[in-house]
Amino acid sequence: MGPDTADGDPRLVLVSGKGGVGKTSVSCALALREARAGRRVLLVSTDPAHNLGHAWGTPLDDEPRRVLVDAGHVDAVEIDPARTVQRHLRAVGESLRRLLPERMHGPAEQHLELARDAPGTHESAVLERLAELVVGACHPSSAYDVVVVDTAPTGHTLRLVALPERLTSWTESLLANRDRSERFGAALRGLGGGEEHVDRDAELRRVLVRRRDRFAGLRDLLTDPSRAGFWLVTTAERLPVAETQALHTELRALGIPVQRLVVNRRSPADGAVLTARRAVEDQHLAVLADAVPGVPLTEVPLLPGDLTGESALAALAEQLA
Amino acid sequence: MISSRWAALRAGLRSGLEEFYAGPYRATMRRARREEDDLFMLVVLAEALGVPDPAAYWSAELLPATYEEFHAWHRRIGMESSPLDHVGCC
Repeated sequence: MGPDTADGDPRLVLVSGKGGVGKTSVSCALALREARAGRRVLLVSTDPAHNLGHAWGTPLDDEPRRVLVDAGHVDAVEIDPARTVQRHLRAVGESLRRLLPERMHGPAEQHLELARDAPGTHESAVLERLAELVVGACHPSSAYDVVVVDTAPTGHTLRLVALPERLTSWTESLLANRDRSERFGAALRGLGGGEEHVDRDAELRRVLVRRRDRFAGLRDLLTDPSRAGFWLVTTAERLPVAETQALHTELRALGIPVQRLVVNRRSPADGAVLTARRAVEDQHLAVLADAVPGVPLTEVPLLPGDLTGESALAALAEQLA
Repeated sequence: MISSRWAALRAGLRSGLEEFYAGPYRATMRRARREEDDLFMLVVLAEALGVPDPAAYWSAELLPATYEEFHAWHRRIGMESSPLDHVGCC
């Protein structure tokens, strides 16, 4: 999986697709396959309706928990944005209290409550936690060889992967503003101007630079085909295929590589109903192959039974080989 | 006018001419910086001022370093008392 391994796949795999096509099952099966090949795997879910815990039959939360030990192992995390928001605002609150006089503490807390409920805060927190987990785990010295992200349905995921780029420009423009302000300040000092903001300027710059580096780090990772890529999961039906094409187009526009298509739950040519169904699926698949050329396509047959628990996931994992 | 400039020039000569030359530029520089700082303040406080800020989560962490200047800012933009109910700086 990693650039250091034979098949040349990247270290970070983001599994995406329309709701209900089997993203979670494919993510878990991929994680299992990698762990059986001796790799250390971090499996992350960004979907607000988390399913990872159900798939592995064990409760999960915002910290990595070991769900499988084989030749390698799988640690799984379900991102909890509320916890990240809590932690973030607490840290901001602490520095506010440190900097402000006692009587301003109450008002400052109230001000932060506005940010908690602002539109976009939930999404920002998912991105923050994802960046922390993924950039950390994709670092050369990390304790993981492979990171698999089970993403939320298409719309969420597109906004999420577009954010690092947008926020990098947002911090850049604020930094440019600080540059200008500091230059005028320096000129003022040169002219013997008195009042000073040097500490404040340094603090603002420090916060902005740290922010920009984190966003830029995630953006660079997501757009680097030697380190990261998307797997698009679909079923061979009209709507999921249409959504997969759209997702592929959008990801290309963002410069994010798509590395594989997984067509889940292919009907067998078995009995009149399923045979007829398979013929229809073939048509949709032809459309898909035409619209998304040059991306390897893996077909996974319809499997009997529920895809929960290790043995069921192993059956699916074999199909992904 | 001339005599006051002359007086300033004489004072300037004593203190190395600095004030005479630097004064007008200092005011310009101070104003230019203040404009940049006001714009920054507007971005950081957007949510509290009723402008939806999709980056509120991130701008909150810039708040500590700008909070102190809030009072000077709202006076400058022509509001006598704090425009925010929960910021009782005056």
